[in-house]
Amino acid sequence: MRLELTINGIPWQGEVEPRLTLADLLRDRLRLTGTHLGCEHGVCGACTVLLDGEAARSCLTLAVQAEGAAVITVEGLPSSLIPENAFQCGFCRAGFVVSAAALLSDGRRRGRQELAEELAGNICRCTGYRPILEAVLRYQA
Amino acid sequence: MKSAPFEYRRPASLAEALQILDQHGDDARPLAGGQSLIPLLAMRLAQPAMIVDLGRLPELRGIRRDGSEIAIGAMTTQAQLQRLPLPGILAAALPHVGHFQIRSRGTVGGSLAHMDPAAEWPALAVLLDAELELAATSGRRLLRAADFALGPMTSAIEPNELLVSIRLSGAEGPFGFLEVERRPGDFALVGAACHRGRLVAFATGAIAQRLTRCEALLREDGSPGDLRALAEAEIEATGDVHASAGYRRRVGAALVQRAVEAAA
Ligand SMILES: Cc1cc2nc3c(=O)[nH]c(=O)nc-3n(C[C@H](O)[C@H](O)[C@H](O)COP(=O)(O)OP(=O)(O)OC[C@H]3O[C@@H](n4cnc5c(N)ncnc54)[C@H](O)[C@@H]3O)c2cc1C
Ligand code: FES
Ligand code: FES
Repeated sequence: MRLELTINGIPWQGEVEPRLTLADLLRDRLRLTGTHLGCEHGVCGACTVLLDGEAARSCLTLAVQAEGAAVITVEGLPSSLIPENAFQCGFCRAGFVVSAAALLSDGRRRGRQELAEELAGNICRCTGYRPILEAVLRYQA
Repeated sequence: MKSAPFEYRRPASLAEALQILDQHGDDARPLAGGQSLIPLLAMRLAQPAMIVDLGRLPELRGIRRDGSEIAIGAMTTQAQLQRLPLPGILAAALPHVGHFQIRSRGTVGGSLAHMDPAAEWPALAVLLDAELELAATSGRRLLRAADFALGPMTSAIEPNELLVSIRLSGAEGPFGFLEVERRPGDFALVGAACHRGRLVAFATGAIAQRLTRCEALLREDGSPGDLRALAEAEIEATGDVHASAGYRRRVGAALVQRAVEAAA
Protein backbone atom coordinates (compact mmCIF):
# COMPACT_ATOMS: atom_id res chain seq x y z
CA MET A 1 0.00 0.00 0.00
CA ARG A 2 1.13 3.54 -0.83
CA LEU A 3 2.38 5.59 2.14
CA GLU A 4 3.42 9.23 2.40
CA LEU A 5 4.73 10.92 5.53
CA THR A 6 7.57 13.15 6.68
CA ILE A 7 10.37 11.86 8.87
CA ASN A 8 12.57 14.38 10.67
CA GLY A 9 11.26 17.00 8.26
CA ILE A 10 12.08 15.04 5.11
CA PRO A 11 9.19 13.77 2.97
CA TRP A 12 9.15 10.02 2.34
CA GLN A 13 6.92 7.94 0.14
CA GLY A 14 6.90 4.29 -0.73
CA GLU A 15 5.04 1.01 -0.88
CA VAL A 16 4.54 -0.79 2.45
CA GLU A 17 2.71 -3.87 3.68
CA PRO A 18 -0.16 -2.89 6.01
CA ARG A 19 1.29 -5.09 8.77
CA LEU A 20 4.61 -3.18 8.82
CA THR A 21 4.99 -1.24 12.07
CA LEU A 22 6.29 2.31 12.10
CA ALA A 23 9.29 1.00 14.09
CA ASP A 24 10.20 -1.49 11.38
CA LEU A 25 9.73 1.12 8.66
CA LEU A 26 12.16 3.43 10.47
CA ARG A 27 14.73 0.79 11.32
CA ASP A 28 14.67 -1.64 8.41
CA ARG A 29 13.63 0.49 5.46
CA LEU A 30 15.09 3.88 6.39
CA ARG A 31 17.99 2.60 8.49
CA LEU A 32 17.12 5.07 11.24
CA THR A 33 18.32 2.62 13.86
CA GLY A 34 18.43 5.09 16.75
CA THR A 35 14.86 4.01 17.51
CA HIS A 36 15.21 0.72 19.39
CA LEU A 37 12.89 -2.23 19.81
CA GLY A 38 12.85 -3.86 23.22
CA CYS A 39 9.55 -5.51 24.04
CA GLU A 40 7.46 -4.81 20.92
CA HIS A 41 4.31 -4.56 22.99
CA GLY A 42 4.32 -1.08 24.41
CA VAL A 43 5.87 -1.71 27.81
CA CYS A 44 9.54 -0.68 27.61
CA GLY A 45 9.37 2.66 25.75
CA ALA A 46 12.59 2.15 23.75
CA CYS A 47 10.76 2.68 20.44
CA THR A 48 9.09 6.01 21.37
CA VAL A 49 8.90 8.61 18.57
CA LEU A 50 7.03 11.88 18.10
CA LEU A 51 3.96 11.48 15.92
CA ASP A 52 2.53 14.89 15.00
CA GLY A 53 4.23 16.24 18.12
CA GLU A 54 2.94 13.62 20.55
CA ALA A 55 5.08 10.83 22.00
CA ALA A 56 3.90 7.44 20.72
CA ARG A 57 5.12 3.86 20.62
CA SER A 58 6.37 3.12 17.11
CA CYS A 59 6.04 -0.63 17.85
CA LEU A 60 2.30 -0.13 18.45
CA THR A 61 1.67 2.03 15.39
CA LEU A 62 1.22 0.60 11.92
CA ALA A 63 3.19 2.56 9.36
CA VAL A 64 -0.03 3.03 7.36
CA GLN A 65 -1.69 4.67 10.39
CA ALA A 66 0.94 7.40 10.12
CA GLU A 67 -0.21 8.38 6.61
CA GLY A 68 0.32 12.15 6.24
CA ALA A 69 1.90 12.46 9.69
CA ALA A 70 5.09 14.22 10.77
CA VAL A 71 7.38 11.76 12.54
CA ILE A 72 10.37 12.86 14.61
CA THR A 73 12.85 10.27 15.79
CA VAL A 74 15.78 10.54 18.18
CA GLU A 75 17.95 11.38 15.15
CA GLY A 76 15.88 14.56 14.70
CA LEU A 77 16.27 15.82 18.28
CA PRO A 78 19.14 17.69 19.96
CA SER A 79 21.42 15.22 21.75
CA SER A 80 22.04 17.84 24.45
CA LEU A 81 18.61 16.98 25.87
CA ILE A 82 20.01 13.96 27.71
CA PRO A 83 23.75 13.55 27.12
CA GLU A 84 25.15 10.09 26.44
CA ASN A 85 26.92 9.90 29.78
CA ALA A 86 23.59 9.75 31.61
CA PHE A 87 23.31 6.19 30.27
CA GLN A 88 25.31 3.00 30.46
CA CYS A 89 24.53 0.61 27.58
CA GLY A 90 22.32 3.24 25.92
CA PHE A 91 19.63 0.87 24.72
CA CYS A 92 16.86 2.88 26.38
CA ARG A 93 18.26 6.27 25.36
CA ALA A 94 16.11 7.06 22.32
CA GLY A 95 12.94 6.43 24.29
CA PHE A 96 13.99 8.72 27.12
CA VAL A 97 15.17 11.52 24.82
CA VAL A 98 11.97 11.48 22.75
CA SER A 99 9.72 11.17 25.83
CA ALA A 100 11.53 14.00 27.62
CA ALA A 101 11.29 16.17 24.49
CA ALA A 102 7.52 15.57 24.39
CA LEU A 103 7.10 16.38 28.09
CA LEU A 104 9.24 19.52 28.03
CA SER A 105 7.57 20.87 24.88
CA ASP A 106 4.79 22.40 27.01
CA GLY A 107 7.39 24.69 28.60
CA ARG A 108 6.35 23.78 32.13
CA ARG A 109 9.11 23.04 34.63
CA ARG A 110 8.72 19.83 36.55
CA GLY A 111 10.05 18.63 39.87
CA ARG A 112 11.94 15.38 40.36
CA GLN A 113 8.97 13.35 41.60
CA GLU A 114 6.67 14.46 38.79
CA LEU A 115 9.33 13.74 36.16
CA ALA A 116 10.00 10.32 37.65
CA GLU A 117 6.29 9.50 37.49
CA GLU A 118 5.87 10.75 33.94
CA LEU A 119 8.95 8.93 32.70
CA ALA A 120 7.75 5.69 34.33
CA GLY A 121 6.70 4.43 30.90
CA ASN A 122 10.36 4.00 29.93
CA ILE A 123 12.41 1.12 31.28
CA CYS A 124 16.16 1.32 31.87
CA ARG A 125 17.88 -1.88 32.93
CA CYS A 126 21.24 -0.29 33.75
CA THR A 127 21.25 3.06 35.48
CA GLY A 128 18.66 2.96 38.23
CA TYR A 129 17.20 6.09 36.53
CA ARG A 130 19.00 8.66 38.69
CA PRO A 131 21.50 10.00 36.14
CA ILE A 132 18.73 10.19 33.53
CA LEU A 133 16.44 12.20 35.81
CA GLU A 134 19.36 14.42 36.85
CA ALA A 135 20.13 15.13 33.19
CA VAL A 136 16.54 16.13 32.40
CA LEU A 137 16.39 18.31 35.53
CA ARG A 138 19.66 19.99 34.48
CA TYR A 139 18.37 20.56 30.97
CA GLN A 140 15.23 22.23 32.35
CA ALA A 141 17.27 24.55 34.59
CA MET B 1 6.80 -10.91 17.03
CA LYS B 2 5.39 -9.75 13.73
CA SER B 3 1.76 -9.71 12.69
CA ALA B 4 0.40 -12.09 10.06
CA PRO B 5 -0.56 -10.32 6.81
CA PHE B 6 -3.98 -8.68 6.63
CA GLU B 7 -5.94 -6.49 4.27
CA TYR B 8 -6.20 -2.86 5.44
CA ARG B 9 -9.08 -0.44 4.94
CA ARG B 10 -9.24 3.18 6.01
CA PRO B 11 -12.86 4.31 5.57
CA ALA B 12 -13.57 8.05 5.53
CA SER B 13 -17.03 7.93 7.09
CA LEU B 14 -18.92 5.94 9.70
CA ALA B 15 -21.39 4.70 7.07
CA GLU B 16 -18.55 3.33 4.95
CA ALA B 17 -16.93 1.65 7.96
CA LEU B 18 -20.20 -0.02 8.96
CA GLN B 19 -20.73 -1.26 5.40
CA ILE B 20 -17.29 -2.87 5.39
CA LEU B 21 -18.05 -4.58 8.71
CA ASP B 22 -21.41 -5.75 7.36
CA GLN B 23 -19.77 -7.33 4.33
CA HIS B 24 -16.87 -8.97 6.12
CA GLY B 25 -18.40 -9.89 9.49
CA ASP B 26 -16.09 -11.86 11.74
CA ASP B 27 -13.13 -11.57 9.34
CA ALA B 28 -12.83 -7.81 9.89
CA ARG B 29 -11.55 -6.17 13.06
CA PRO B 30 -11.83 -2.46 13.89
CA LEU B 31 -8.55 -0.72 14.76
CA ALA B 32 -8.69 2.30 17.08
CA GLY B 33 -5.47 3.41 18.81
CA GLY B 34 -3.98 -0.04 18.37
CA GLN B 35 -2.44 -0.02 21.85
CA SER B 36 -4.10 -3.32 22.69
CA LEU B 37 -4.90 -4.73 19.25
CA ILE B 38 -1.43 -4.34 17.70
CA PRO B 39 0.24 -6.41 20.47
CA LEU B 40 -2.47 -9.06 19.94
CA LEU B 41 -1.70 -9.05 16.20
CA ALA B 42 2.05 -9.22 16.85
CA MET B 43 1.66 -12.18 19.20
CA ARG B 44 -0.78 -13.67 16.66
CA LEU B 45 -3.42 -14.03 19.35
CA ALA B 46 -5.62 -12.21 16.83
CA GLN B 47 -5.33 -12.96 13.11
CA PRO B 48 -8.10 -11.03 11.36
CA ALA B 49 -8.18 -11.16 7.57
CA MET B 50 -8.99 -7.45 7.48
CA ILE B 51 -8.23 -4.44 9.65
CA VAL B 52 -10.66 -1.52 9.48
CA ASP B 53 -8.84 1.61 10.67
CA LEU B 54 -11.26 3.96 12.46
CA GLY B 55 -8.63 6.72 12.58
CA ARG B 56 -10.24 8.94 9.95
CA LEU B 57 -13.88 8.86 11.01
CA PRO B 58 -14.91 12.40 11.99
CA GLU B 59 -18.18 11.10 13.51
CA LEU B 60 -16.28 9.27 16.25
CA ARG B 61 -14.15 12.16 17.50
CA GLY B 62 -14.55 14.89 20.06
CA ILE B 63 -16.91 15.56 22.91
CA ARG B 64 -20.34 17.15 23.09
CA ARG B 65 -21.80 18.73 26.21
CA ASP B 66 -25.41 19.41 27.04
CA GLY B 67 -25.88 20.69 30.59
CA SER B 68 -24.43 18.02 32.86
CA GLU B 69 -24.45 15.48 30.02
CA ILE B 70 -21.25 14.66 28.15
CA ALA B 71 -21.00 12.46 25.06
CA ILE B 72 -17.43 11.37 24.33
CA GLY B 73 -16.69 10.12 20.81
CA ALA B 74 -15.19 6.61 20.77
CA MET B 75 -12.07 7.69 18.84
CA THR B 76 -11.21 10.49 21.25
CA THR B 77 -7.78 9.72 22.67
CA GLN B 78 -7.13 9.77 26.40
CA ALA B 79 -4.62 12.58 25.76
CA GLN B 80 -7.16 14.73 23.86
CA LEU B 81 -9.62 14.25 26.70
CA GLN B 82 -7.00 15.21 29.31
CA ARG B 83 -6.56 18.59 27.61
CA LEU B 84 -10.25 19.49 28.20
CA PRO B 85 -11.98 20.70 31.37
CA LEU B 86 -13.55 17.55 32.82
CA PRO B 87 -15.54 16.35 35.84
CA GLY B 88 -13.11 15.64 38.70
CA ILE B 89 -13.44 11.88 38.61
CA LEU B 90 -12.45 11.68 34.93
CA ALA B 91 -9.51 14.04 35.45
CA ALA B 92 -8.36 11.85 38.35
CA ALA B 93 -8.75 8.55 36.51
CA LEU B 94 -7.21 9.43 33.12
CA PRO B 95 -3.56 9.68 34.26
CA HIS B 96 -3.85 6.01 35.25
CA VAL B 97 -4.89 4.86 31.77
CA GLY B 98 -1.42 3.79 30.64
CA HIS B 99 1.66 5.99 30.27
CA PHE B 100 1.42 9.31 28.43
CA GLN B 101 2.97 7.72 25.32
CA ILE B 102 0.08 5.21 25.35
CA ARG B 103 -2.60 7.84 26.07
CA SER B 104 -1.53 9.81 22.98
CA ARG B 105 -2.89 6.96 20.80
CA GLY B 106 -5.20 4.89 23.02
CA THR B 107 -8.87 5.80 22.71
CA VAL B 108 -11.82 5.87 25.07
CA GLY B 109 -13.80 3.56 22.75
CA GLY B 110 -10.88 1.15 22.39
CA SER B 111 -10.59 0.86 26.16
CA LEU B 112 -14.30 0.19 26.54
CA ALA B 113 -14.44 -2.29 23.66
CA HIS B 114 -11.34 -4.13 24.88
CA MET B 115 -12.88 -4.57 28.37
CA ASP B 116 -9.73 -5.42 30.28
CA PRO B 117 -10.75 -6.28 33.89
CA ALA B 118 -8.01 -3.90 35.14
CA ALA B 119 -8.90 -1.00 32.83
CA GLU B 120 -10.26 2.25 34.23
CA TRP B 121 -12.89 3.07 31.57
CA PRO B 122 -15.08 0.00 32.00
CA ALA B 123 -15.04 0.66 35.76
CA LEU B 124 -15.93 4.34 35.28
CA ALA B 125 -18.75 3.37 32.92
CA VAL B 126 -20.36 1.10 35.53
CA LEU B 127 -19.72 3.55 38.38
CA LEU B 128 -21.23 6.51 36.52
CA ASP B 129 -24.06 4.43 35.03
CA ALA B 130 -22.95 5.47 31.54
CA GLU B 131 -24.76 4.70 28.31
CA LEU B 132 -22.91 3.27 25.33
CA GLU B 133 -24.04 4.17 21.84
CA LEU B 134 -23.55 1.44 19.22
CA ALA B 135 -24.09 1.74 15.47
CA ALA B 136 -24.68 -0.82 12.71
CA THR B 137 -25.93 -0.37 9.14
CA SER B 138 -29.38 -1.32 10.46
CA GLY B 139 -29.43 1.50 13.05
CA ARG B 140 -28.28 2.55 16.48
CA ARG B 141 -28.86 1.27 19.99
CA LEU B 142 -28.05 2.51 23.47
CA LEU B 143 -26.86 0.14 26.17
CA ARG B 144 -26.40 0.68 29.89
CA ALA B 145 -22.85 0.02 31.08
CA ALA B 146 -24.06 -2.94 33.15
CA ASP B 147 -25.45 -4.57 29.97
CA PHE B 148 -22.45 -3.60 27.84
CA ALA B 149 -19.84 -5.36 29.99
CA LEU B 150 -20.33 -9.09 29.45
CA GLY B 151 -17.11 -10.49 30.87
CA PRO B 152 -13.32 -10.26 30.76
CA MET B 153 -12.25 -8.94 27.33
CA THR B 154 -15.88 -9.25 26.20
CA SER B 155 -18.30 -6.42 25.48
CA ALA B 156 -21.76 -6.54 23.93
CA ILE B 157 -20.49 -5.06 20.62
CA GLU B 158 -21.52 -7.32 17.72
CA PRO B 159 -19.01 -7.96 14.89
CA ASN B 160 -21.02 -5.72 12.55
CA GLU B 161 -21.27 -2.89 15.11
CA LEU B 162 -19.07 0.00 16.20
CA LEU B 163 -19.03 1.81 19.49
CA VAL B 164 -19.81 5.44 18.63
CA SER B 165 -19.79 7.23 21.97
CA ILE B 166 -20.05 6.96 25.71
CA ARG B 167 -22.62 9.21 27.38
CA LEU B 168 -22.29 10.37 30.95
CA SER B 169 -24.65 12.44 32.99
CA GLY B 170 -24.08 13.86 36.45
CA ALA B 171 -20.41 12.83 36.51
CA GLU B 172 -19.48 15.95 38.50
CA GLY B 173 -19.32 16.08 42.27
CA PRO B 174 -17.18 14.59 45.01
CA PHE B 175 -15.60 11.23 44.29
CA GLY B 176 -12.95 8.79 45.39
CA PHE B 177 -10.75 7.06 42.82
CA LEU B 178 -7.84 4.95 44.00
CA GLU B 179 -5.66 2.24 42.60
CA VAL B 180 -2.48 0.35 43.36
CA GLU B 181 -0.14 0.04 40.37
CA ARG B 182 3.51 -1.01 40.09
CA ARG B 183 4.62 2.02 38.07
CA PRO B 184 2.39 5.05 37.42
CA GLY B 185 0.46 4.17 34.25
CA ASP B 186 0.75 0.39 34.57
CA PHE B 187 -2.42 -1.65 34.72
CA ALA B 188 -3.87 -1.55 38.24
CA LEU B 189 -3.26 -4.47 40.60
CA VAL B 190 -6.37 -3.41 42.53
CA GLY B 191 -8.68 -0.40 42.23
CA ALA B 192 -11.80 1.10 43.81
CA ALA B 193 -13.97 4.13 43.11
CA CYS B 194 -16.90 5.88 44.75
CA HIS B 195 -19.29 8.49 43.35
CA ARG B 196 -22.75 9.60 44.55
CA GLY B 197 -23.15 6.60 46.83
CA ARG B 198 -22.14 4.08 44.16
CA LEU B 199 -19.11 1.85 44.64
CA VAL B 200 -17.06 -0.14 42.14
CA ALA B 201 -14.04 -2.41 42.58
CA PHE B 202 -11.88 -3.14 39.53
CA ALA B 203 -8.75 -5.10 38.67
CA THR B 204 -10.00 -7.48 41.33
CA GLY B 205 -11.82 -10.15 39.33
CA ALA B 206 -13.25 -10.94 35.91
CA ILE B 207 -14.96 -7.61 35.47
CA ALA B 208 -15.46 -4.25 37.21
CA GLN B 209 -17.78 -5.10 40.10
CA ARG B 210 -20.44 -2.88 41.56
CA LEU B 211 -20.51 -3.38 45.35
CA THR B 212 -24.24 -3.16 46.02
CA ARG B 213 -24.10 -4.57 49.55
CA CYS B 214 -21.50 -1.96 50.53
CA GLU B 215 -23.66 0.72 48.92
CA ALA B 216 -26.61 -0.39 51.09
CA LEU B 217 -24.42 -0.15 54.19
CA LEU B 218 -23.43 3.40 53.16
CA ARG B 219 -27.09 4.38 52.95
CA GLU B 220 -27.58 3.03 56.49
CA ASP B 221 -24.56 5.02 57.70
CA GLY B 222 -22.58 1.90 58.65
CA SER B 223 -19.25 2.30 60.46
CA PRO B 224 -15.97 2.43 58.46
CA GLY B 225 -14.88 -0.84 60.10
CA ASP B 226 -18.09 -2.61 59.04
CA LEU B 227 -17.71 -1.23 55.52
CA ARG B 228 -14.21 -2.58 55.20
CA ALA B 229 -15.18 -6.02 56.46
CA LEU B 230 -18.19 -6.14 54.15
CA ALA B 231 -16.12 -5.01 51.15
CA GLU B 232 -13.60 -7.76 51.85
CA ALA B 233 -16.44 -10.28 51.79
CA GLU B 234 -18.22 -8.78 48.78
CA ILE B 235 -15.28 -8.32 46.38
CA GLU B 236 -15.10 -11.32 44.04
CA ALA B 237 -11.34 -11.55 43.61
CA THR B 238 -9.19 -13.79 41.47
CA GLY B 239 -5.45 -14.31 41.85
CA ASP B 240 -2.80 -14.30 39.13
CA VAL B 241 0.98 -13.81 38.81
CA HIS B 242 0.59 -10.13 39.75
CA ALA B 243 -1.38 -10.49 42.98
CA SER B 244 -3.22 -13.16 44.94
CA ALA B 245 -6.99 -13.16 45.43
CA GLY B 246 -6.48 -12.54 49.16
CA TYR B 247 -4.30 -9.48 48.46
CA ARG B 248 -6.89 -8.10 46.07
CA ARG B 249 -9.69 -8.56 48.59
CA ARG B 250 -7.80 -7.02 51.50
CA VAL B 251 -6.23 -4.13 49.60
CA GLY B 252 -9.43 -3.67 47.60
CA ALA B 253 -11.43 -3.32 50.83
CA ALA B 254 -8.96 -0.72 52.15
CA LEU B 255 -9.26 1.23 48.88
CA VAL B 256 -13.06 1.04 49.08
CA GLN B 257 -12.95 2.58 52.55
CA ARG B 258 -10.60 5.36 51.39
CA ALA B 259 -12.65 6.01 48.26
CA VAL B 260 -15.76 6.45 50.41
CA GLU B 261 -13.91 8.86 52.72
CA ALA B 262 -12.62 10.86 49.75
CA ALA B 263 -16.13 11.10 48.27
CA ALA B 264 -17.73 12.22 51.52
C1 LIG C 1 2.13 -0.54 28.31
C2 LIG C 1 0.65 -0.37 28.33
C3 LIG C 1 0.01 -0.03 29.51
C4 LIG C 1 -1.36 0.12 29.55
N1 LIG C 1 -1.94 0.45 30.75
C5 LIG C 1 -3.28 0.62 30.79
C6 LIG C 1 -3.94 0.96 32.02
O1 LIG C 1 -3.30 1.11 33.07
N2 LIG C 1 -5.29 1.10 32.00
C7 LIG C 1 -6.02 0.92 30.85
O2 LIG C 1 -7.23 1.07 30.90
N3 LIG C 1 -5.44 0.59 29.71
C8 LIG C 1 -4.09 0.44 29.65
N4 LIG C 1 -3.51 0.08 28.46
C9 LIG C 1 -4.38 -0.22 27.33
C10 LIG C 1 -4.65 1.02 26.52
O3 LIG C 1 -5.40 1.95 27.26
C11 LIG C 1 -5.35 0.61 25.23
O4 LIG C 1 -5.11 1.62 24.38
C12 LIG C 1 -6.83 0.41 25.28
O5 LIG C 1 -7.21 -0.61 26.14
C13 LIG C 1 -7.38 0.07 23.89
O6 LIG C 1 -7.60 1.24 23.22
P1 LIG C 1 -7.10 1.46 21.73
O7 LIG C 1 -7.71 2.71 21.26
O8 LIG C 1 -5.64 1.34 21.68
O9 LIG C 1 -7.84 0.24 20.99
P2 LIG C 1 -7.31 -0.87 19.99
O10 LIG C 1 -6.13 -1.56 20.55
O11 LIG C 1 -7.21 -0.33 18.62
O12 LIG C 1 -8.58 -1.85 20.04
C14 LIG C 1 -8.88 -2.63 21.17
C15 LIG C 1 -10.09 -3.52 20.87
O13 LIG C 1 -11.28 -2.76 20.77
C16 LIG C 1 -11.89 -2.89 19.48
N5 LIG C 1 -12.40 -1.55 19.16
C17 LIG C 1 -11.71 -0.40 19.28
N6 LIG C 1 -12.50 0.66 19.01
C18 LIG C 1 -13.72 0.17 18.71
C19 LIG C 1 -14.99 0.76 18.35
N7 LIG C 1 -15.14 2.11 18.26
N8 LIG C 1 -16.03 -0.05 18.12
C20 LIG C 1 -15.89 -1.41 18.21
N9 LIG C 1 -14.74 -2.03 18.56
C21 LIG C 1 -13.67 -1.26 18.80
C22 LIG C 1 -10.80 -3.41 18.58
O14 LIG C 1 -11.32 -4.16 17.51
C23 LIG C 1 -9.99 -4.27 19.54
O15 LIG C 1 -10.61 -5.51 19.72
C24 LIG C 1 -2.14 -0.09 28.38
C25 LIG C 1 -1.52 -0.42 27.19
C26 LIG C 1 -0.14 -0.57 27.14
C27 LIG C 1 0.51 -0.94 25.85
S1 FES D 1 9.57 -1.78 21.82
FE1 FES D 1 7.90 -0.44 21.77
S2 FES D 1 7.52 -0.13 23.86
FE2 FES D 1 9.04 -1.68 23.93
S1 FES E 1 21.33 2.45 29.88
FE1 FES E 1 21.09 0.34 29.52
S2 FES E 1 18.94 0.16 29.48
FE2 FES E 1 19.19 2.19 30.06
